[in-house]
Amino acid sequence: MAVKMETKSVFDREELMTGTDAVAEAVKLVDVDVFAAYPIRPYTGVMDRLAKFIANGELDAEYIVADGEHSQFEIGKHASSVGARAFVGSSGTGWLYAMESIGVTATDRLPLVALVGNRALDDPGAFGVEHNDALLVRDLGWLIGWASTAQEALDTTLIAYRVAEDPTVRMPAAVAMDGGYLTHSQHMVRVPTKEAVRDFLPAYDLGNRRMHPDNPVSIAPQVNEDWVMEMRRQNYEASKRSRKVLYSAYEEYNEVFHSEYDNPFIEETNVEDADTVLVGMGSASVVARSVAREMRKEGKKVGFLKIRWYRPYPTDEIRKALSNASNVGIIERNFAMGAPDGGAITMQDLQSALYDAKNHPRVVDFIAGLGGREISKTEVRKMYEMTADKKSPKVSWIGLRE
Amino acid sequence: MIRLEVNYRGIFQKTLAYHISGDIVYIAHKEGKTAFSNGRYSDDPQRNGIPCANFAYFSKDLSEEDLEAEASASMDIKEAEVVIVVDDTMVKGLEPWGGYGIRPINEKVVKNGVMLIVSNRKPADLIAQMEKKNYDYRLAIMPGEASFAGLWYFKDDMTDVRVLGAIAKVAPEIASIDTVADYVSTKYKSKEKAAAARKAYDEVKVSTVKAGEGIVWPYPKPVLPGWKSFDDGVYVKGVKRGFQMGPRGQNRNPDFKRGTSKTQRPVVRFDICTKCTLCWYDCPDEVFDPTTEGLYDVNYEYCTGCGRCAEVCPVEDCIVMVDELKFENQDSPYVLYKKDPEKYVKWAEEKKGHERLMPSPVTGKGNTVTKVEASKPFKKGVVK
Repeated sequence: MAVKMETKSVFDREELMTGTDAVAEAVKLVDVDVFAAYPIRPYTGVMDRLAKFIANGELDAEYIVADGEHSQFEIGKHASSVGARAFVGSSGTGWLYAMESIGVTATDRLPLVALVGNRALDDPGAFGVEHNDALLVRDLGWLIGWASTAQEALDTTLIAYRVAEDPTVRMPAAVAMDGGYLTHSQHMVRVPTKEAVRDFLPAYDLGNRRMHPDNPVSIAPQVNEDWVMEMRRQNYEASKRSRKVLYSAYEEYNEVFHSEYDNPFIEETNVEDADTVLVGMGSASVVARSVAREMRKEGKKVGFLKIRWYRPYPTDEIRKALSNASNVGIIERNFAMGAPDGGAITMQDLQSALYDAKNHPRVVDFIAGLGGREISKTEVRKMYEMTADKKSPKVSWIGLRE
Repeated sequence: MIRLEVNYRGIFQKTLAYHISGDIVYIAHKEGKTAFSNGRYSDDPQRNGIPCANFAYFSKDLSEEDLEAEASASMDIKEAEVVIVVDDTMVKGLEPWGGYGIRPINEKVVKNGVMLIVSNRKPADLIAQMEKKNYDYRLAIMPGEASFAGLWYFKDDMTDVRVLGAIAKVAPEIASIDTVADYVSTKYKSKEKAAAARKAYDEVKVSTVKAGEGIVWPYPKPVLPGWKSFDDGVYVKGVKRGFQMGPRGQNRNPDFKRGTSKTQRPVVRFDICTKCTLCWYDCPDEVFDPTTEGLYDVNYEYCTGCGRCAEVCPVEDCIVMVDELKFENQDSPYVLYKKDPEKYVKWAEEKKGHERLMPSPVTGKGNTVTKVEASKPFKKGVVK
């Protein structure tokens, strides 16, 4: 049952939704022209809901079921190049199967938006969350945002279109969220009105690059060594510019939809004066924040830093946020076999961000919650305590059956 | 925090379970309380009849984030104050996946918690199938058959709103019956539905299950090994080929039996069997074991109760599907028959009674029951 909100509100209603429902709702609100699909859990949740919208006449869009994830992402890419607003998505091995297409969508600078419902890379067959799928594209030229609640999933999807399609950016954006826990838990979500979203998100316009009979262009020609480096530099500059666009998009989003995002990139819970800070992303943030507040009441100077936009990496924001911390721990829902110190992926980025910073906190890494294993309050508390303890090892596996 | 677990049968009751857990969240929200819900992720994609679980978490004072943290942001539940069972045949145990064993239905219920079971049976019949606990808990029975309302298309039989009414009785901290009735009538714009919720509230019978009441759980509960205790790589041992004539003569997977999927089991009258082989031939789960004399034993541990054998059996009354809760064990019927044929047939007819059940999940109407006057008398000697 939908609860009707006050009249004239920018919200249409409040409804109980899963994370995938919330993303599907956002895709409807941005009025996509092309929705490409290939089933894999949890993306099927978005497929189901969008199919219903189209069947009910609530959304007018091409719904194309591809013969695999690679084709699905190609369809999205091509739709985007002709000026159609498109949405695609996958998870785990499906995301990897689309990898070639994912790479060129970024180098073609097409503002496609994709959901990656983080899922362990089979084998063994597992549906639960691991962040390796999304992190595998972190260097390819995609903007990557991590949602940790269903509401945030809806908000982040809307913002992703706004930033990706901005004429100064034009980069694809991935909205990552934890498969299983976030995609399949039901929470109350505020759904904006179509009109309010239309005001927030201008029509998609690819400008001179739009492939159209009236504007004949050929996309992605062979260029070899004469052009590639310059193009890479353009891509890098766009990525830098996206930071500013993210700030202005969030500012406006807060204004229009009364949300309270302090910073697009990071979310701090008692970080400012904390000695010990845990860093993480995704649904583990919910538990980590709750424990941080609890321990603060006990007089322990701990804080939690959630990373929302992982690409572009919030180097300055993180340096500033951690400028007073003595101990930093990272919750990693991913693995990096053979990486320095046996740590996982986000430790490498965080440590290199801190290397040239004024403050050099001790950094430890926690590999936890792989394949969807729960990260409990007890375990998070243990991570805070181990981070504060100078004698704890550099890397620890938490919640592992020895 | 109050944790609710809704146990239901995959696909058949999926939408029903979603309605129940979702409505709890809406009611809490309406009352200014906090709640959210989720389901056991590993149940998906649901197969027909497999035991599945949905959860709702409720709190009067915690924020949503603290409630989620308290629930460990987990896709399964460790303990529950309220355990709801919408199909009473599930009290025989649950086997959700391979390697987990067959688990008791009341495994999660906490001390002084409540098991709310939709059933037309007496408390003693249900307790006789459940594991004994070393503490007291409550057993609430809401009259009703296992609803098939939750198929792809929701065929409404009001089980969802009735369960909400029953929750108001057993866990009034969540919502009073007036709140539930008010919510239901607003949601559906239906006074009948609100009345159905109130009726269930009145009808539900609550008793206390004392510590030690119930059975010693007959199935082992597997303990998962640590990372040093199993081989590298991704593989599980297969089942070696093995066959000999007679009961339990075929090798089968000991780690995944699926027998808990069944709500009914085939009862065989060996004395009137014509040895046509159709049951053995058609069984999708290969649970029939050939014997040297041409009769087929049933391995109930692996039988999912699909009813195919009863459907193809050409002999009237030879294979009949019977309510699973009438049986205490999975013993071989052929062995029992050989021990004392006449006694076996008498026992089988007692179990069969005069009712013949025909499940009709597709129409959402539940079981069709036909009455039979008398069964075929015992036939001496073996059919050649």
